[in-house]
Amino acid sequence: MNNQHLQPARYGSIDVNNIKLTDVIDISFLQKFQDDFAKGVGLASVTVDPDGTPVTKPSSYIRFCANYTHSTDIGDKRCAESHRKGGEEAARTGKPVVYECHAGLIDFAAPIMLEGRLIGTILGGQVLTSAPEEEKYRRIAKEIGVDADEYVEASKEARILSKESIESAANVLFIVANSMSKAAYQQLKLRSVVQTLSDSAHQISATMQELAASASSVSDNQNELNNEIKNVNAVTGKIDEVMDFIKDIADETRLLGLNAAIEAARAGEAGLGFSVVAQEIRNLSSDSKQTVGKIKELTTIIKESVDKTVRMGNGTTATIEQQAAAIEQVTASIEEISSLTELLSDLATQA
Amino acid sequence: MQLVVFALNKEEYGVDISAVNGILRAKKFTIKSIPGSSKEVDGMINLRGKINYVLNLRAKFGFEYTDRDEESKFIMLNINEGNTGWIVDEVTDIVKIDDTHFQSVPQAIYGINTNYIQGIGQIDDRVIIILNPDSMLTAEDYSVINTHEA
Repeated sequence: MNNQHLQPARYGSIDVNNIKLTDVIDISFLQKFQDDFAKGVGLASVTVDPDGTPVTKPSSYIRFCANYTHSTDIGDKRCAESHRKGGEEAARTGKPVVYECHAGLIDFAAPIMLEGRLIGTILGGQVLTSAPEEEKYRRIAKEIGVDADEYVEASKEARILSKESIESAANVLFIVANSMSKAAYQQLKLRSVVQTLSDSAHQISATMQELAASASSVSDNQNELNNEIKNVNAVTGKIDEVMDFIKDIADETRLLGLNAAIEAARAGEAGLGFSVVAQEIRNLSSDSKQTVGKIKELTTIIKESVDKTVRMGNGTTATIEQQAAAIEQVTASIEEISSLTELLSDLATQA
Repeated sequence: MQLVVFALNKEEYGVDISAVNGILRAKKFTIKSIPGSSKEVDGMINLRGKINYVLNLRAKFGFEYTDRDEESKFIMLNINEGNTGWIVDEVTDIVKIDDTHFQSVPQAIYGINTNYIQGIGQIDDRVIIILNPDSMLTAEDYSVINTHEA
């Protein structure tokens, strides 16, 4: 049996084995959550897919990052590399990581995992744990090619938070995003299973209908067969009638032979030849009678065989009726399963 | 001598062929019983417009009574002006028998009541009791038949 179709491989256009972040999280909801969270806690945040491509708009990016670090090609590339590294580390550990970015700010990366597979990362931070060191930012400004004074000035806008606060914030985002995607994923899986169940139920139902139809056709055939066999019996009866007639003729012929012999005997010498003919006639009639007996034996065998066949046919008919009843029961059960499946489907679709 | 051989109660009997007029299938005739006749006389049949009497040899010989069946035959005989027949179970054969195979039955054996046995014929293992048609009916039987005819 091919059980591949029993596995919940797909639901609609979504492949549950290759699920994307956008399949399990409503992006507009995530955007609002991310914006509010960023504003409330004072952290910048953005969500990216496993390739590092953003799926949300950045929330609460500070000028230091948005207007200076990202303003040059080198800065932008260094940011991307820094994000990639943080995301990689987060995916590897399966937990949020807090690290210092290439530009000296504290960032975090919270992985969104499904079944042990990374489907996205929430990046955030752009904060500091202590007051900025001016020399450090002058050096970085030089490296990425921005105005050092303005860069140092912008660095002062970065909010200062304790490491614990940053970790907690990363944890909140991690827990919420993962719970949401997990719940959505489970629902998707459930829908997929329900769909498979429903498909199977329909298939079984269709097969049962075919079975019922074929059972009824077998039953019809059997009835026709029984009637046909009864015809054979009727014909055999007619053969017997004919045989009785032939036997009667043979008896009559024999009598004719006997009477001819009597006449021949009376005729004395003159009847000798005739008495031979009379003897022949008697022999012929005796042969005919024996043949009739043999044919009657055969017709008796045919009748017995036909009776047996009819009995077996009746047995078959009874079995077919039992099968039809069983099929009806199965069909009823399948219908119950189908309606349960519909209920399940309703439950699974309620978001 | 040529014999018409017939079966009665699973035994073989014979009668001289020259005394036989013909053989009829019993089932083709209806026997009308004659009131007051002895049990040996079964009744009469209408054969081609003439009344013929039939004797029941089973009754005559004291065998168990059986109904006539498919094979039963009337052997019509040249006695009593050619209008008497015997009911037998079946006519089985017509045979020739020479004098060396014919034995008459000693007077002491058949006595006065069995004088209708003409003799015993032997063909290989078969023993055929040969009946004398003329002695089959008693004077009493004839008187009933004749009374009826008159």
